[in-house]
This record gives sequence, structure tokens and C-alpha cells, in this order.
Amino acid sequence: MLTVKGLAKRLPDGKPLLRDISFQVEKGEFVAVFGESGVGKTVLLRCVNGLTAPDSGEVVINGDGGPQRVNGKTGKELRRLRRRIGMIFQGANLVKRLSVLENVMTGRLGWINPSRSLLYGFTDQEAERALEALEKVGVKHLAFRRAETLSGGEMQRVAIARALLQEPYLLLADEPVASLDPKNASAVLDCLKPLTAQMAIIGVFHHLDIVRKYCTRAIGIRDGVVAYDGKPDVPRDVLNAVYGSEPRAWPVAAGQ
Amino acid sequence: MSVPAPGAMRLHLKKFRKYVAPALVATLLLWGASTVCRVDLGALLAGMPRGVALFGHMLPPRWEDFPALAGPALETVQIASVGTVLGAVLALLIALAAAGNLSPHRAVRELARGALTAERALPDLIIILFFVAIVGLGAFPGVMALAVCSVGMLGKLFADAFEEVDPKPLEAMAAVGATRAQIIRYAVLPQVFPSLIANTLYRFDVNIRMSIFLGVVGAGGIGFNLVMSMRLLRYQEAFAAILVILVLVVMCEQLSDALRRRVLGQEVLR
Repeated sequence: MLTVKGLAKRLPDGKPLLRDISFQVEKGEFVAVFGESGVGKTVLLRCVNGLTAPDSGEVVINGDGGPQRVNGKTGKELRRLRRRIGMIFQGANLVKRLSVLENVMTGRLGWINPSRSLLYGFTDQEAERALEALEKVGVKHLAFRRAETLSGGEMQRVAIARALLQEPYLLLADEPVASLDPKNASAVLDCLKPLTAQMAIIGVFHHLDIVRKYCTRAIGIRDGVVAYDGKPDVPRDVLNAVYGSEPRAWPVAAGQ
Repeated sequence: MSVPAPGAMRLHLKKFRKYVAPALVATLLLWGASTVCRVDLGALLAGMPRGVALFGHMLPPRWEDFPALAGPALETVQIASVGTVLGAVLALLIALAAAGNLSPHRAVRELARGALTAERALPDLIIILFFVAIVGLGAFPGVMALAVCSVGMLGKLFADAFEEVDPKPLEAMAAVGATRAQIIRYAVLPQVFPSLIANTLYRFDVNIRMSIFLGVVGAGGIGFNLVMSMRLLRYQEAFAAILVILVLVVMCEQLSDALRRRVLGQEVLR
């Protein structure tokens, strides 16, 4: 489904962030990416759907059209690939002044005729699909509310519904539950988990109990390389190695 | 300084340089200018009786003129409406190029910003006279003039509004594979909608006043009736036109205020 090979990316100031990242993800997997903050987890996810261009290495998606390289693609080709890669952000990133239903329907933008979407808007059929997706994540009753009136947990579930309308085979989740309370976090994760039947999910998570409970695999990143790739029940000594033993364990102390 | 002056003395000198000297210079210049302009309170007072007399000539307004003024009044509103909308549409297109976060290229942005600044710097009168000169008298040059006069201000305000949108939803749209136009339609416009409407309505208020002035230079509307009546010394006719203009301005302001409230009220109540 996804192959990342020798991925490298420097920060704007020239310091290497990711140096040599390689891994493969198949359908059905729920992969957690972990590591110190600032280690490049977000950048890694953004390289996968081309929001950020890597300096070297390659990202290959094996979807409906056979294996296709993401990096190096631009314009229409890149949009074609992106329309089947869902992305969920920490803050949901909904359009706050649009209704929940409209927000979900924007998940179809990569599929539909651009001039129709600009002049006419969405069709009833798309609205029905959006309602189905909202039902799936348990917030159908909010469909006609404005997105800005929702709570953080509700917004995140709407964001999942939006991604579902993309019919993705790969879902990227960048700290989807980091700003939610435990109850809402579980609700969001419970929505994500069953989706692995149709797709692969790669998420950035910070709580190991979440990783253990929901994920099928964990990838730890340190110093720009994959330091751990294995069971979600990450051993203590590996954790120490990935987060660095004290005092490096604490980004604040280790920072500058 | 080799020999330090006593502290208090130095302070006085500093104050003189900073405040007193500039104030003296400014006063002199303004006094000179007002002499050249023959600012004369006496002349103003002496003219007062004539003002009262003029007002006397105006009374009563020619009531029978009112039906005939309805047409020109309506034309004034139409010129202002069409001019404002045309200007807003033009401004929107230029603003898309002038907003740093949406512009296709830095050079395009600088060009668009430059055009907007140039339009604002150009006095409105020159624009009005230009359109009267190229398309002749009537309502059409008025519409064109108002549209162009509105573009500079609206374009800048729209571009600023575009630059202030929350970029996160834009990125989310890019991630689902949306085109640039789709991102603008679904992530940018919804965010700036209230600001676009409020600014356009404000400009409409300005344009109503301007469209009355347009009649003076022959670009249609009720201003023309007023000027003709005054020139022909038909003061009662002129007064009727003035009354219609006052009512018109107040009505339009009420209308745009109500619309503004409708659009922005929703925002506040949410």
C-alpha cells in the first residue's frame, strides 16, 4: 500500500531532520509513529501526501492505479493521488463557517468535476453519502449545524467523515487526539479502528496506552532514522532509547 | 559635547527643538496659507443675510416637482448600486491576485497591490471626468466611474481579509486533492464572506453620496437636476431636489444598515 524508502528532509536552516526513513505499510495496519517532539513525525506524514516535498528518497503509493511515486508529482497528478489519501489534523481544520454536512462533502472535491463544484455545488447524492459517513462516526444529528459550534471531539469525528468521503486507502492522522480529553479521544479512536478493514492508517500518537490498545504496529523515530519498528507493546528499554535517556528524554531540557 | 550645559538648560533646549520650534513653523505656514485663501470671518458674517434670503427664496419647495424627481432619484440609486457591485466584483478578482497567501506569484501580487494603491492615489474627480470624456454624458459613465473609484479601497480591504483567513482549512482542502479554485470557493470565501459584505455595503453608502455629485459633471442622476435648478436660479425647484436627496441618502443608509445587521448579526448571535 505504502512504501517509504530512504526519505530525507532538511529543515529550512539546513539541519537534517529526517535522514533515512524506510518502512512499508499494508492495508489493515494501524501504525503509530512516535518519538520526541520536533523529531519530524509531522513532516514524515506530510511527505506521504505531498504537502511537504522531501529532499531525497521516495514515497510510493500502491493504490488503484498500481505503484505511483508521490514525491516529484505536482498539479493534477498530485491531486489524483491525494484524493484517496485522507488526512486528519490535530485541530480537525474544518471550515468553521460552513455546515457540518458541507464540510464533509468537501471530501469529494478531488473526485468531482471542478467547474461543477464551483458553479453548482454538491449534489443530493453527495449529501446522502456525507450523511452516511456522519452516521458511521456517530454525529449525524449535527449535520446541519455550523462547524464552529461543535466541540473538539465532534469536530474531529466530522474530519474523519470528510476523509471517509475520499474513499481513501490510506489515512494519515497527525495527533488526532492530542487536544482531546480522554473520553473524546476514545470516541475518536473507536471511529478510526474499524476503518482498517478498508485501508491502512498511520497516526502520530503520544500516549503509549493508546498505541497498545488501538494500533497494530509502532514506528519510533530518533535522530532522523527509524529506531524501532515492531509490536505496539513497545518495550521500556526501546522507549528510553527512542525518547533518549535522561536528560534527553525531555525536549525542553534537550532543546537548546 | 565638550562642555556639558547645565542640565535644566539642556532640557529647555531639547523641548524647544522638539515641540516649540515645529509648532511655530506650522503656525506661520498656516497663517500664510489662510491669508492667501482670504479667510475672512467678516465676509462670512456679512454673507449671512444673503444666506437667509436664499433660504427664503427656496420656500416653499415646488411640491409639484416631486413626481418628476422620482426618476432621477431612482437613477442615482441605480448608478450607485450597479457601480458598487461592478466595483466589488472587480475588486474581488484583483484582491485574489493581491493577497499574499492566494496570489499565484510574488510578482503578480506586487503588481496587483501596486494597481490598487495607484487607483487610491488617483483623485476620484479625474476618474469621473475621464469616463465622461470617453463615453459621453449620462448614467453609464457614472456607473463606470463609481466602479473604478471603489476598486482601490475594496480591493485592498478584500486582499487584507484574504490574508487574514485561517490557513488550516486551506491545507485540509489541498490534502483532499482540491484545486486552487476549489480551495478559494470552499475554504476562503466562506471565511471572508461577512467582511466582503460589510465592506461592500459601506462602499455603497459612500457611492450614494458620490453618485449625487456625479450629476454635477453630467454623469446622470438627481445631482444634475439640483445643479440645473440652481444655475437657472429656480430656488424652489432646487429645494425640492435637496429634500429628495436627503430622504434618498437616509433611506439608503437605513437599507445598507439593515442588510449589514442581517449578515453580521448572525455572526454575533452565534
